[in-house]
Amino acid sequence: MLIAWRYRDRDTIIQRLDPRARIIFMLAMLFSVVQFWDLRIMLVFLGIAFLQYGLAKLTWQETRRVWILVSMLILIMTTLTFITGRGGVQYAYHEEHVITQLGPLSLPVVGWTLALTITAEKTIFAVSQLVRMYAITTMAITIPYTVDPSLYGVTFRGLGLPDKFAYAMDLAFRFVPTLGRDFSITLDAQRARGYEVEKLSGGLIAQIRKLAPLLVPVTINAIVGAEDIIDAMDLRAFGVGPRTWVHRLTYQARDKVLIAISAFIFAGSTVLSFLGVGNLWVPRAFLRLAGG
Amino acid sequence: MTGQPGTNRTLIWFIVLVVFVLLLALASILTGGQRISGVAPIGVTAVGLILVFGVYLLTAENDAWAVGTREVVYMAIGAALYGVFNWIFNTIPMPSVSQVALRPSVCIPIFFGYVFGPVVGFFTGAVGNILGDFLTGWGVFPAWDIGNGLMGMVPGLVLLFINKRRSLNFLTILVAVLILLTAGLIFINPEVVGPWTGEIESFQLWAWIFMVGGAVVIASRFVLERFSVDMAAVNLWGTLGIIVGIGFASIADIWINGYSFATAIIGEFAPAAGPNIVNSMILTPILLAAYEAVQARTGR
Repeated sequence: MLIAWRYRDRDTIIQRLDPRARIIFMLAMLFSVVQFWDLRIMLVFLGIAFLQYGLAKLTWQETRRVWILVSMLILIMTTLTFITGRGGVQYAYHEEHVITQLGPLSLPVVGWTLALTITAEKTIFAVSQLVRMYAITTMAITIPYTVDPSLYGVTFRGLGLPDKFAYAMDLAFRFVPTLGRDFSITLDAQRARGYEVEKLSGGLIAQIRKLAPLLVPVTINAIVGAEDIIDAMDLRAFGVGPRTWVHRLTYQARDKVLIAISAFIFAGSTVLSFLGVGNLWVPRAFLRLAGG
Repeated sequence: MTGQPGTNRTLIWFIVLVVFVLLLALASILTGGQRISGVAPIGVTAVGLILVFGVYLLTAENDAWAVGTREVVYMAIGAALYGVFNWIFNTIPMPSVSQVALRPSVCIPIFFGYVFGPVVGFFTGAVGNILGDFLTGWGVFPAWDIGNGLMGMVPGLVLLFINKRRSLNFLTILVAVLILLTAGLIFINPEVVGPWTGEIESFQLWAWIFMVGGAVVIASRFVLERFSVDMAAVNLWGTLGIIVGIGFASIADIWINGYSFATAIIGEFAPAAGPNIVNSMILTPILLAAYEAVQARTGR
């Protein structure tokens, strides 16, 4: 079983940016977009996210599977919210203009009555939610394809994570291929004994229990092997002084510009939100549809 | 996290967070709660972090929080295992029973947290989730990374107790108090807006469901304890970890994605927490038994 990172060196403007600046940008975008429900503002954020995606030169072929899964999830969740209400964002709108009403439908056994009132505000809220989720996802999806896994430790160290945690992160990324190979060997060994992971039989508990022959040997083997690593690190006086890193990250002018833009977007969004700008916007056409 | 400088830095962050939340609260009062609502998710996250910091500060002297070479290596191995298993069990075509997906990897952060402590558990869950998402190309979703971290951290809190039986006593009292409080609140104010119909409904039935559920959890503690204290402790702490971790991520999505409470519970919490609890209750004790056997053999 070959474990391959999604990351490829593409020599793009996005990959030339410092990963720390990119993480800061992503978080600033996330915390900014969640402050609005105005579809027009949301579309601006979606545009920025797609601009990053385009500049990263990611192809449909590479990301197709993820897009299909993410789109299914987003559509299900948006539909569920459309049916069930607004939850934590009750303030998004106070008045509703009814377009049409479905039901009431009485369920025969439980006796529940289901009714769905479709309003202009509810519909636009669902569209805004869809756009918001796509904006956040597009921003997040770009990261695994464009940030070198070997830079993660030093990136988080640069963002203020303590040495030991950053080192553990670096080590975790390095263990992945080894553990993938161990899993492959274990799977082959179990298959040679007639174990077929694709054809587990029995009830729920039996099926889960039958996964133990794959999971337990790989985990216990890794823990036993860890003792040697601990000894080797202790003998080299790990953690006694500050660490140095193989890779060194230095902010270039373009990174500083990106951080400044991130700070500006977040601060601007917070001020606008505080001033009451960016609440749910309902196009007049929708209100006319509702006879409002 | 050990030593004076680490504690000082934590205290500074704690104070910064408290000041931040107080400023948000003040702004909320001054603006009638409307205008500040946009930054509510940041405030909620900060309150969550303050709670975690609070638990840490109250128990900072306990060895459970110590991070040495051993913990660093187990953090890395745990995270790598969780990431690899997440990717593998998403890639291999697996059978599923009814709506319960086979997610065996969930036992990794719970096992690492329970055996090696809350810091190792949190790191295993959070970084392992990032790793798994990196391998599958899903992206980075901070709320879910923190949620997975909490799933590993909570079982690690068992190490804060002198022994595991005492931790079970604490859990039993906690469950009983929480259930009684929730049921009491429902009985005092039974009529609220229904999540499905939007009409005023009575929720008294849920109070009884909560009480019966709580009684089942408390009874299962005593049943499992008859077999082994470890089995009872790992299952109950693991279940609590899953509820807290997945609960945090699902509730955070109410603000991040604008879900309704019903969507967060039905669409995210139930399909994720339910199968995770089943998978964890079966596989974590097996893993723990194998680990104890190896530990007894090697003496480490």
